[in-house]
Amino acid sequence: MTPGPLLLFAAAGLTAGLVAGRRHAPAWLGFTLAGAVAALVAAAQLLLGGAPWEWRSEFAVAGQPLHLRLDALGALFLALVAVVGGAGSVYAHGYWSDRDYPQSAPRGRLWWNTLLLSLGAVLLSWNGLHFLIAWELFTVAAFFLITLENQRRDVRAAGWLYLAASHLGTMCLFAFFAALAARTGSWELGPMRERADLAPLFWLALVGFGLKAGMFPLHIWLPSAHANAPSHVSAIMSGVTIKLGIYGLLRTAGWLPVPAAAPWTLIVLGAVTALLGIAFALAQSDVKRLLAYCSVENIGIILIGLGGALLAAADGSTSLTAGAAWGRLALAGALLHVWNHGLFKSLLFFGAGSVLHATGTREMSRLGGLWRAMPWTASLFALGAVAISGLPPLNGFVSEWLVYLGLFDAVTSRSPAAWAALPAAIMLGVTGALALATFVKAGSLIFLGAPRTAAARDAHECSPWMRGPMVAVAAACGAIALAPALCWPLIARAAGAWQPGWADLTPPASLFTLGGMQVALALLAFAAGFALWRRARADDVTRQLTWDCGYVVPTARMQYTSDSFAGIAGGWFAWILQPQRRLRRPRGLFPEGASRMERVPETVLERLIGPVAAVVMQASLAVRRLQHGRLQYYIAYVVVGLAGLGTLVVLGGGS
Amino acid sequence: MNAYLNLLIGLAIGLNLLALGSSRLPSLINAVAVQGMALGAMPFLLEEHINWMVALVACATVAVKGFVIPILLRRAMRTANIEREVVPSIGYVPSLLLGAGGTIAAVAFARTLPLLPEHAGSLLVPGSLASVLTGFVLLIGRSKAISQVCGYLILENGIYLFGLLLIHATPLLVEAGILLDLTVGVFVIGIIVDRIQRAFDSLDTRKLTVLRE
Repeated sequence: MTPGPLLLFAAAGLTAGLVAGRRHAPAWLGFTLAGAVAALVAAAQLLLGGAPWEWRSEFAVAGQPLHLRLDALGALFLALVAVVGGAGSVYAHGYWSDRDYPQSAPRGRLWWNTLLLSLGAVLLSWNGLHFLIAWELFTVAAFFLITLENQRRDVRAAGWLYLAASHLGTMCLFAFFAALAARTGSWELGPMRERADLAPLFWLALVGFGLKAGMFPLHIWLPSAHANAPSHVSAIMSGVTIKLGIYGLLRTAGWLPVPAAAPWTLIVLGAVTALLGIAFALAQSDVKRLLAYCSVENIGIILIGLGGALLAAADGSTSLTAGAAWGRLALAGALLHVWNHGLFKSLLFFGAGSVLHATGTREMSRLGGLWRAMPWTASLFALGAVAISGLPPLNGFVSEWLVYLGLFDAVTSRSPAAWAALPAAIMLGVTGALALATFVKAGSLIFLGAPRTAAARDAHECSPWMRGPMVAVAAACGAIALAPALCWPLIARAAGAWQPGWADLTPPASLFTLGGMQVALALLAFAAGFALWRRARADDVTRQLTWDCGYVVPTARMQYTSDSFAGIAGGWFAWILQPQRRLRRPRGLFPEGASRMERVPETVLERLIGPVAAVVMQASLAVRRLQHGRLQYYIAYVVVGLAGLGTLVVLGGGS
Repeated sequence: MNAYLNLLIGLAIGLNLLALGSSRLPSLINAVAVQGMALGAMPFLLEEHINWMVALVACATVAVKGFVIPILLRRAMRTANIEREVVPSIGYVPSLLLGAGGTIAAVAFARTLPLLPEHAGSLLVPGSLASVLTGFVLLIGRSKAISQVCGYLILENGIYLFGLLLIHATPLLVEAGILLDLTVGVFVIGIIVDRIQRAFDSLDTRKLTVLRE
């Protein structure tokens, strides 16, 4: 089958799920999964070398004829939507079931399918107006998914912030597409590199798409939205929807000429986003907020790769000369990281959701010792944590390694790009180390040690509905990790759709070495784990409390808390984190009580955007006082306005 | 010809001041009715050759402004059971001063305008501006719905006066259309006044602010 009927089938499956979702959860799951599988097959056909699929129709939507097209680049993102969408559907069936949430579960299924459909529509539309419609639909669907638990105040606040911020981005996109249509005379999208006058529009697209991607400092909506949404929604938002911001940037940079400063800006923004994102993640005590900030970091890594690719492409050489080779590596790293981050971030959010489901809290300082109660969740979360920290032998290492390789080649090429590549590579290294610290903290606080509260003690393993998708996503992570050379042609085709000269399907030789090393390391780790497991099962091993530090009667409260664990590294970033501390010292010979509280605010939101927004609100309220509903005064406004205009005309006519 | 016209316009300006100074609603309505009739008669003075179309529209204007609308307003006044404007936002003396000042300003302003020679001597432009200003003062300064309708009618009379400048250029059909709108508007207002009175026991539009937005 060609992609066309498959995509039609996928759309039909998702629509059928949309209709059935109100009443029949199993039917919804079946339809949605069938749709996701069809979309995945269609995407796979293109990535395996199929010709781009194109469909034009005279049928007009909103006055514009339909024009759908799927090329390898769109297919790369469509595959991610299908995989995470399908896994998330299965997960939601167990996690947000009708039994637990009779009110919101049917609503959730409805908006879930709307979200998947609109994500697909964004990827297929080659008409600016239809792109905007699909974009807006997906924003609104995500809003309703975030606010499924709308009886909670913080959920409503998070949803509102998301909606407001998203619409700021959408406004920029409206301006972008409208200006594009005005200058080209048509809403049709496609390559128009020769129109140099379109270059400044890139900045509008950068704000619009960057806001959706969670680029620093436009990330303000992201942590609260991803933390407060139900976990399967967090997974698709962190794993997939923010990547559509990257997709938009890729398309813009691929179709339109970009300003000379754009690649440098992207690299700088990427480095800042990565470093500050992970610094904030390290300081969080809420596990889902930590994961959300970590998404900001990964977007930074992808932006560095994208910036490198643009820099190489701007050198003028579109063929595979030495100059462009490193750009292609950076782009391949960024594209592969889109997949990888989508996979392991949804795995981690699924894991966090299982913990939340089992214990009812996201505060890491209230958890602990869950490995024994939830071995599946714990080991899969650990796998995801290793992957996201960019450690071999998992897939995060492969894509970050490709980005590194591109940056190092840029440094050795002695082109001007070296000036950006060298600091970016260093920042990337720092980011990786901090990511490792962050996930050591998250993993050890949640799963190791002793339970800190009764809720953590009574935790239970998640149901197979939730475990299944986690295993599936983890398996996909493992597949990319162990056979990176097999993934290369897929990524290279997507890169070729972006920059036609870059579609070289033979993997770099070092990728085979990397694959072999990854397999060897994985085998080694597996053998070591197995040996340790055997040792631990032996009869002569006595079990002790973790971290008892030699005390006679250790208690669970002696363990590291979230803040004490991150204390030192957090101190390096105190200038941006601005932690608020409250200390009550013990006083006197028999101190009665002492406490130390620490809270990391949303610095950008509370210190920068908050005050500005407060001033704007005050001004708006003052203006609002003019609107009191008294007709007489309204007429007086009209008279004053007319008199003013008249005076202006008379004075203007005199001069 | 021009002298008669100016006489009628002077009458309309005088009626403006009467409308501004009277606190009783019946005299306000009467002032508006007489002004409407005076204005309706003007096309007979302006046109040298009266054709049946102009005559028809002029007669209709006199009938509607002089009789239909006043009757509707009086009926609304009776159903609402009010006779006078009790607390105007702009008092009667200040209203009169504003109206008088506005009329003087209108005359002064009209001299500076580049008018056609045949309009230079007439009071058409100052009278029109003065009526518009009077209408605005009534609309802003009165709080009862019926007085505001009267203010609106005077405002419209001012616009009509200005339209007479262009009597050779625009067909009177346009004027007829405006007349129809006006009648329907007053008719609807009459019904609304009745409803407001029944629902809220008051016709003070200042109290009708809760339903904004």
